[in-house]
Amino acid sequence: MKYFKTITDGIFKGNPTFVLLLGMCPTLATTSSAMNGLGMGVATMFVLICSNAFISLLKNLIPDGVRIPCYIVVIASFVTILQMLIQAYLPELYRTLGIFIPLIVVNCIILGRAEAFAAKNNVLASLCDGLGTGLGFTLALTLLGMIREFFGKGTFFGTEILPSSCNMLLFVLAPGAFITLGLLIAVVNSIRKNQA
Amino acid sequence: MEYFLIVISAIFINNIVLSQFLGICPFLGVSKKISTAAGMGIAVTFVLVISVIVTYALQTWVLNPLGLGYLQTILFILVIAGLVQMLETVLKKVSPALYQALGIFLPLITTNCCILGVSILVSNGNYPTQGLEPSLLVGVLYAFATAAGFTMALIIFAGIREQLDTVKIPEPMRGMSIALITAGLLAMAFMGFSGVDHGIASALGH
Amino acid sequence: MKKLESNRLNMAVVMTAIAVAAAGLLGWVNSFTQEPIAQKSSQADFDAIRSVIIGDRDIEFTVAPAQERNGFVFHKVTGADGRTLGTAVKSTDPNGFGGDLTIMVGFDTEGEILGYKVLDHSETPGLGAQADEWFRQPEKTGSVSGSKLSELIFGAPSKAGSHNIIGMNPADDVMTVSSDGGQVDAITASTITSKAFLRAVNAAFKELFGYTAADAVSGASY
Repeated sequence: MKYFKTITDGIFKGNPTFVLLLGMCPTLATTSSAMNGLGMGVATMFVLICSNAFISLLKNLIPDGVRIPCYIVVIASFVTILQMLIQAYLPELYRTLGIFIPLIVVNCIILGRAEAFAAKNNVLASLCDGLGTGLGFTLALTLLGMIREFFGKGTFFGTEILPSSCNMLLFVLAPGAFITLGLLIAVVNSIRKNQA
Repeated sequence: MEYFLIVISAIFINNIVLSQFLGICPFLGVSKKISTAAGMGIAVTFVLVISVIVTYALQTWVLNPLGLGYLQTILFILVIAGLVQMLETVLKKVSPALYQALGIFLPLITTNCCILGVSILVSNGNYPTQGLEPSLLVGVLYAFATAAGFTMALIIFAGIREQLDTVKIPEPMRGMSIALITAGLLAMAFMGFSGVDHGIASALGH
Repeated sequence: MKKLESNRLNMAVVMTAIAVAAAGLLGWVNSFTQEPIAQKSSQADFDAIRSVIIGDRDIEFTVAPAQERNGFVFHKVTGADGRTLGTAVKSTDPNGFGGDLTIMVGFDTEGEILGYKVLDHSETPGLGAQADEWFRQPEKTGSVSGSKLSELIFGAPSKAGSHNIIGMNPADDVMTVSSDGGQVDAITASTITSKAFLRAVNAAFKELFGYTAADAVSGASY
């Protein structure tokens, strides 16, 4: 039960994108379509779960003085493994995400969770936290991607819904990313305020 | 000529923050006041240029000859983290005044994805070179121009945000929400520069 | 278990151990992903050649080994009966919107375009990336036409021009964008990408056949 709460906290109360406002670069850059957002979200979730579990496992072996560099090495290793796997088995995704795969290393969410959660909790709880935060991030990216793709290209996961004359290209371009996320955060804010 | 185009394109057309989405965190985080924005911009310029030189050297003379390309991410991020640490120590000793001004930004820079991102792009020769062969000189110029673009965007954005403080904003939109929308409008304005490099090139007979 | 103390020896040992373990792990993963990566990239080339020459046709064919000339890569494709079906050319234009635009384009023996594929681009996602579809779509006729206001905001729907280049022949057709006096409509709001794309097609054709109709017409902006 406690673990279940850890997971749902990551998705809703502590949503990394809408509430904690972390990891903005990939959020804005890779959500030009729902599929890309989902891909990036899952990739980040993979790294987050692995690094959380590993760091929690090693937490007593790592002296505080070299804590951060050690975490970075662990995270960077998982990112590189992921990068090689994607390149080998999902070359299309590798092409679209490009530079943002290695940049998962500097996604503040991952180092943030390692420092704030995995370094203090046991392996299972850290796994759940990674899963929850990862799911929250994935959901946010997919939602953002869906909105941008729908208004920008008139498609839903690549299936055409609106004719191309109704497309508002702005949404798939850079400004659309900022504006859509800004509006989504406003919506989330007002929902949270009503609940409180 | 090509050098000039690289600079123009990196600052205005392919602005690192507003069109490449690198370095968003400091862009949103330290843009409340113009003075801090300028400090952050200068610190980023400093670290970016140095780390591009170091990582380019590592890639060309260590990783590539040894066939260890897969260690790129891990090595680069460690090098950047170390570099930032070293810079902090050196600055403290050599120029306390500069340290006072930039010190607080330095720890934030390690996780600035614009540093790692540009380092990787330059080492892989994966950036707009306007037809020139990628080299250390071109890479450093590109890095410098990119950082200049970052600084400029940050200062402009901070200027707008200072004005925002005096405006009444609907409650749910306060804070990050309105900041993101403002950034979106700024990005839209910067889109107006697209094609300018081609215009300059053809005006100068290229 | 108690947390290790932060003394110098501990820190150095742990840091080194973690770094060595990480490097070892990565080396191991690299050793078994290297091959699929190389394979995927040659498979991607083969798929591109098939899609630009053969398309949906269900016929036997063989691809001759690649030939490189002046930065272009040629793959000659022959049918089961030994007849040449066409040549796939990999062509790069350095002046796309954000840098290089690399395409694969297939010509039959007469120079008629059989198909194309955008292999690599640094265009605006969603905009320039449309090139992969745009130049093969039949022109839209009578689709939902936007009202004046929506046209103003979202851009005019594509006019009944021609942006389908399949079946064109750069020797006879002036394959530049209409604003340069050519016969092809540029992608809405992506003239630079469209020009780069057509330059790459024309350059590939010229390398293969030595002449394009666009040479005679355009000058400065080409």
